[in-house]
Amino acid sequence: MESIAIEVNNVTKFFKISKPKGISNLAKSISLKNKSFKVLDSISFTVNKGDVLGIIGTNGSGKTTLLRTIAGIYKPDIGSVKINGRLSPLLQIGTGFQKEMKAKENIMMNGMLLGMSKKEIENKVTAILKYAELERFSEMKLKHYSSGMRARLAFATAMQIEPEILLVDEILSVGDKNFKEKSYRTFTSFKEKQKTILYVTHNLENLSKLCNVGLLLDKGKQVMFGKIDEVIEKYNEIDPKET
Amino acid sequence: MKSNTISSFKKKVSLVFNFAIFNIQLRYKNSYLGIMWSALEPLLYFTVLYVVFTGIRGREDDFAIYLITGIMMFHIFTRGTSGGLASLTSHSGIIQSLRIKRDFFPIFTVTATVLLAFVDVGVFFALMPVFQFTPSITLILLPIPMILLFILVLGLSYLLSIVTVYIRDIQIIWPIFTHTLLFVSPIFWKTNEVQGILLSFQKINPLGQIIDLAHRLVIDGTIPPINDWIYTTLFVVGIFVVGYLVFRKLEERIVEEF
Repeated sequence: MESIAIEVNNVTKFFKISKPKGISNLAKSISLKNKSFKVLDSISFTVNKGDVLGIIGTNGSGKTTLLRTIAGIYKPDIGSVKINGRLSPLLQIGTGFQKEMKAKENIMMNGMLLGMSKKEIENKVTAILKYAELERFSEMKLKHYSSGMRARLAFATAMQIEPEILLVDEILSVGDKNFKEKSYRTFTSFKEKQKTILYVTHNLENLSKLCNVGLLLDKGKQVMFGKIDEVIEKYNEIDPKET
Repeated sequence: MKSNTISSFKKKVSLVFNFAIFNIQLRYKNSYLGIMWSALEPLLYFTVLYVVFTGIRGREDDFAIYLITGIMMFHIFTRGTSGGLASLTSHSGIIQSLRIKRDFFPIFTVTATVLLAFVDVGVFFALMPVFQFTPSITLILLPIPMILLFILVLGLSYLLSIVTVYIRDIQIIWPIFTHTLLFVSPIFWKTNEVQGILLSFQKINPLGQIIDLAHRLVIDGTIPPINDWIYTTLFVVGIFVVGYLVFRKLEERIVEEF
């Protein structure tokens, strides 16, 4: 039991199809029942501590929804998710930042939201800025940051809380070559420390190097869960254009 | 185990407090006068209404302090509820990327309101010597209507923040509504001067009742009868409970609405 990091049990998630707004739709939207569709359909798998799980699938197959459900941002309509350890989500890079505030203040806010005390995060601000290679821009407001700089800041902050489980959505695709290599090295060191990583990407090359297990989703359904090489092979059958 | 829960509680309190400070900083970012606005806003309201109504009514004893008492309460209410209303929608980014208890947002926003209220209270006391007003001993009970006001603001923040996520029209209506409250609450008129609709509305206007209680403590120097306290308290607590329950009922699916 202790070796299990994440247990996803029969998770099903519906999304409402947004009701149309506007005065002509007012009566309709009150009377109509919401239509919904299945984004995730009975997903079940377990991830052991130290596993690096790659989640793949075509666009709209439910990868991001699954990560968000595991992160606890969405609540599954059916089924359950069990988490064993400190979890740090890296989803939707930079959306948690306040554009009007400086990098330093944003690190403080983010760190505290991720569960650190003010003192703990204060001591880490310098290291985070250094890792993100943004020391020169610490007094700059986030609205003047480029998207790559924001992504680096988010990545550096999430890494510094030393999570036991890391959820990552397409992070390695942002930043320049230099930073990509750096984040790749950080991942590898995470792996060596027996930490658990869930990783969503379209970059199959990285995937086979980093991950040991894989999950293939298609239209919200679980197609395959198993060894990474076999999962990638199966993915290439479904979506041959990708390669 | 027990020390663990205490330390996690301390952490939560410090998180709320720190975010309240961030919230205040963010509020006055990009303005030249910054936090001074929190004192200037009630002072400007006061100046305009004082000039207009001493023009209409002539000089009256203690009218200035009567006016600032109401404006102080009204200003705390307006700022608090408009901040509370936006507390979820303006933090949609954080809500979408992290797992956080939803009521963290209205709670830290209302905490910011409480902290800023000290500025309003400062203005209130600063005006007393200016208008040669000597308060009576009943002034020490003023914290009670203040606390009622904060509970009212928190309850409405719960309600408005979550309903706004689903019905964005609320954020357009609410400023008009609070503006109406400036006229229909006993701020520049007194309850014994009016009849009819204004007086009957007072019975269902918790803000007006809180202001009335404060007026009696500050201006009349009397302690309002216990029935008035109970009526207003039940009203305010009722709104809080409704707001809290609606919030709890609707909070789960808000991420899908952003």
